[in-house]
Amino acid sequence: MLDLTRSLEAMLFISPQPVSTAELCAACVADEAHFAESLKELRNEYSAGRHGIELAEIAGGLAFRVAGACEATVERLAGARRPDDLSPALVETLAVVAYLQPTTRAEVAQVRGVSSEWALSSLVERGLADERGRADTPGAPILYGTTDRFLTLFGLPDLEQLPEIGSFALSVRETDELRARLLANAARRRP
Amino acid sequence: MRRTLAAALTRPGSLDDLHFDLDVFDGPFDLLVTLILKEEVDLWEVRVSRIVADYALRLAESDEFDLEATSHFIVMVAALLEMKSRRLLSDGALLDEEEFAEVEEAGEELAVSLTRYTQFKRAADGLAQRYLEHAGRRYRGLPVPERFLRVVCDERRLPADGLVDALTVLLAAPPAPDVSHITDLALSVVQELCRLRELLDRNGQFTFAAVAPRDRLEKAVTFFALLELHNRGEARLHQSGAFADIVVRRLDGPRASSEDDALVAVG
Repeated sequence: MLDLTRSLEAMLFISPQPVSTAELCAACVADEAHFAESLKELRNEYSAGRHGIELAEIAGGLAFRVAGACEATVERLAGARRPDDLSPALVETLAVVAYLQPTTRAEVAQVRGVSSEWALSSLVERGLADERGRADTPGAPILYGTTDRFLTLFGLPDLEQLPEIGSFALSVRETDELRARLLANAARRRP
Repeated sequence: MRRTLAAALTRPGSLDDLHFDLDVFDGPFDLLVTLILKEEVDLWEVRVSRIVADYALRLAESDEFDLEATSHFIVMVAALLEMKSRRLLSDGALLDEEEFAEVEEAGEELAVSLTRYTQFKRAADGLAQRYLEHAGRRYRGLPVPERFLRVVCDERRLPADGLVDALTVLLAAPPAPDVSHITDLALSVVQELCRLRELLDRNGQFTFAAVAPRDRLEKAVTFFALLELHNRGEARLHQSGAFADIVVRRLDGPRASSEDDALVAVG
């Protein structure tokens, strides 16, 4: 392993949170070409299946995490982890914030069709969303966005890795069926 | 549901002594149900919640609990509720073209909203799946060891009397703030009420922006006076859009007396 690679390995080992490649490069005081070569060597070394820990690209940076195959053993040593219980309403609200951010509470409510005040407060308390200032509209409502914790919990290197919202669109057939169902009652009553 | 209710009425005795005093009916419960079935009492006017609340009070006050009677009551109330909810759906009357156009437009809006919601619901389902896969992954959770911290704090000990000196400063009462620059409002609501009334008498109408003082507090006082004029039926307020200027027009009608104006001042 190259000396620079070992330095990267040490920095990532010691860091309690993901470290961006820019921070790593600045700490190494190395030129970009050597840095890129060392980073590639490190990724190969800690790719899935080689060690008990693997290198993951998460939340805008790199971090070591326990390999999937070793999770059960680690759990016996460290105890079971209990991730947050996220209800369907919270996940729905989180999806709207993630795709529309920065967004306001009113916009979230408009998409979901219900008040989202509690859900947004809960997401902020859980560190999955945070306030991003205020909108430049009458009333200056608070703007919300997702956090690095959201990226970590959902296994995302960055927001660009979210699937395109267009991929979840209803097909033309589904939209026509929905429209027909909504208007069926009125159509029966048309003179 | 009507058959359920009719059949329930034929069962002997258990609800005979249930008497309800509602806005549209005062009498025994089984008579109320009979009249509803015969459509002599409009179901829309019957507050089922009141019936349930009264029954619950009776149960609480009674020493005995008749399971059969209560079950019978629940069946009848459930039937009434279902009949009432079914009436929320169309009654089958035909729509004219204008009504149909309105319904069609509302349906289109609802279709657009539902389409958008379904899209995000599917995205949420995808996120939920990711969460199940990734939320349990373990990352390094320990803090950086102290020896690697960028900044190391001095370990000088603070003498005890240093703490006392620090606390003494904190516990000393701060000087009273100088408020001599803050003056009372020059305007009162009553004065503004009179001024706006005179403007209306003279000109018939004005806009709020044209008559409001520049000072924010005084502007608020003028706005309260404007609202009072409106509440008394002396003026009509109109705004063409959100945050647009307010046009105030005089309404002819009986004027308030100076005693009423004085009551406004008292609040």
